[in-house]
Amino acid sequence: MTDESASTDANPGESLSRQVIVASENGLHARPAGRLAQVAQSFESSIVLVRDDQEVDAKSILDILTLAAEPGHVLELRATGGDAEAALIRLEQLFKNKFEV
Amino acid sequence: MADATISGIPVATGIAIGKAYFVNRNHMAHLPRQTVAASLMPQEIARLKDAFASVEAELTTIREQVPEELKTHGSLIDTHLMMLKDPKLVNTAEGYITSLGLNAAWALEKSVADQEAAFESISDTYIRERMQDVRVVADRVQTKLMGVETDLTTISGRAIIMAHDLTPADTVELQVDKIMAFATVRGGKTSHTGIMARSLAIPALVGVDKLEDAVRDGDLVIIDGLAGKIIVNPTEAELEDYNERAAKFETYSRKIKRQCHLPAETFDGSRVQVFSNIELVEEVTSALDNGGEGVGLYRTEYAYLNRIELPTEEELTEKYIDLASIMYPRKVVFRTLDLGSDKFIAAFGELNEANPAMGLRAIRFCLKNPQLFKTQLRAILRASAYGNVSMMFPMISGVKEVRQAKAWLAQARAELRREGVKYDPDMPVGIMIELPAAVLIAEFLAHEVDFFSIGTNDLIQYSIGVDRTNRHVSYLYQPLHPATLRAIKLVVDAAHQAGIEVSLCGEVASDPFCIPILLGMGIDSISMTPQAIPGIKRIIRQINMHDCRLLLKDVLECRTVSRINNLVMDNIFKHFPEEVSFFSSLLENDELPS
Repeated sequence: MTDESASTDANPGESLSRQVIVASENGLHARPAGRLAQVAQSFESSIVLVRDDQEVDAKSILDILTLAAEPGHVLELRATGGDAEAALIRLEQLFKNKFEV
Repeated sequence: MADATISGIPVATGIAIGKAYFVNRNHMAHLPRQTVAASLMPQEIARLKDAFASVEAELTTIREQVPEELKTHGSLIDTHLMMLKDPKLVNTAEGYITSLGLNAAWALEKSVADQEAAFESISDTYIRERMQDVRVVADRVQTKLMGVETDLTTISGRAIIMAHDLTPADTVELQVDKIMAFATVRGGKTSHTGIMARSLAIPALVGVDKLEDAVRDGDLVIIDGLAGKIIVNPTEAELEDYNERAAKFETYSRKIKRQCHLPAETFDGSRVQVFSNIELVEEVTSALDNGGEGVGLYRTEYAYLNRIELPTEEELTEKYIDLASIMYPRKVVFRTLDLGSDKFIAAFGELNEANPAMGLRAIRFCLKNPQLFKTQLRAILRASAYGNVSMMFPMISGVKEVRQAKAWLAQARAELRREGVKYDPDMPVGIMIELPAAVLIAEFLAHEVDFFSIGTNDLIQYSIGVDRTNRHVSYLYQPLHPATLRAIKLVVDAAHQAGIEVSLCGEVASDPFCIPILLGMGIDSISMTPQAIPGIKRIIRQINMHDCRLLLKDVLECRTVSRINNLVMDNIFKHFPEEVSFFSSLLENDELPS
């Protein structure tokens, strides 16, 4: 699985995306979901998390929980806005570190 | 006449008289559902946002005050904060104000209902259950919106805390030195509230159904943690009566507490060991202060509850070593994980079972999850090097189960030996006798283990087939049912025949009315909540084993519960009139002789 699917030099307004894998032991449970939402909230861009045909707001812990993402699931992160790229880099890192800071 | 007298389950004894303060009322029944004019919408939205902001400020402050030893509370509050700050919750509510013209409280309620709907379809039970956390935060906001909460930090005098339920955040926020008593609508014998109250040594009642209807903030209330009653706005005469009773109880408690370190030895010289049931390591202080001669039952579940990840071996070992070494040379009996039925852990989600009490619980759950089981076995073994440690398996139903559990223990031992880690090779291993099956094959089981411990709460439940939290049938929960008594007798006899010791833990052990019979059977030790120890020890010191045996003989010939109860009550009334006025008994109270 590669995470190089992101297009990098986009115009503002265009959305950037990349794929991430849920590596934390219990999937996107309360703590990882909370941390993800918290970090997402620190960016201006609107960020969504997509699993199959379900798309949720990455800034909402409730939304993330309803994805019920389990370990090994592949999700897509999509960000639109001025700091979209920075947001994706930071969030991807979060997934890689299993949400440990 | 008092305004009202309501009843609940007493979980910590004593009498308190004071002003009632509600922490979190269940407002949903009285939720205002009104529409607002378009011109007032901005104001309503501002109210909504203010309520969210002030709850956020509140939770943040509480979060900072969480002491290190309550780490699990802390992470729970973090999750609550995240949910509170979730744009979804507030934005949806705001949308309902603008689009439908709902008032803030109603709009928020609809927003919560939307979240509920989204969560409902999720198959992961753990995630589905997080909806309860959304409820907890939303309730706090609702309370703000309705402007009826009490600021706990401003309570000036001492207060009696009333609540729908007490959450971990509530308990952190409470200024314990100002609390005289607790009463909650929810909760059972082993709820958080009871544990807290007992460790603070203040009276508490749980399961008080009518609490929210009968009591208003500032009402004068009497909490009778002996009889399980709350008297709202008592008359002068009732106040006087209770003041006197409270003083008498105080004197009595002090007197028996002074003598609580004397051995539990009957008049004619028979010794019974009296141990404590505890759930938290912090409870050892009260176990020792109350004259407990050791820990007869350490419920290990608590370390697994209210958290997301399982505790590690290191974490458990550290806690267990603390307990074992503080109590040394006194004994500590570790009961291996007793989850399932009404207690679950997040890491496994809820087991969706039609009959959880008869399902995958206790030893069955552990044998199905050997990794988790072995982590605990290793931790207990490692602690055994530092104290006088025993271990027992709950819910054993047959010989094979004991052998399987012991096989895992042997494997844990072998691993530790290879790793060069110290443990006590002679650590006694016992089982809980809680199922009728175990009673009937007690003589076989006795050859497999070093001791028995009879868990009467479950044994009564399974013998009579009654769920005592079910109000339709709880009247059938009778500790002195002839079947229960015969079961206990059978187990004691089988144990002694095989030359092993038998103890009893369960509420029966802390019921003074039941004590003479247990002694008559020849039980070696009893284990109970620390607060009950001084009173029970005092009773034991004043009875004759000879009389207990005679009483038992008569009792075993009785064919009905009421006949037994009458015999037993007569006996206690004759010998301990003073005690009787302070103890509540599990026996039917309406049959008390006048």
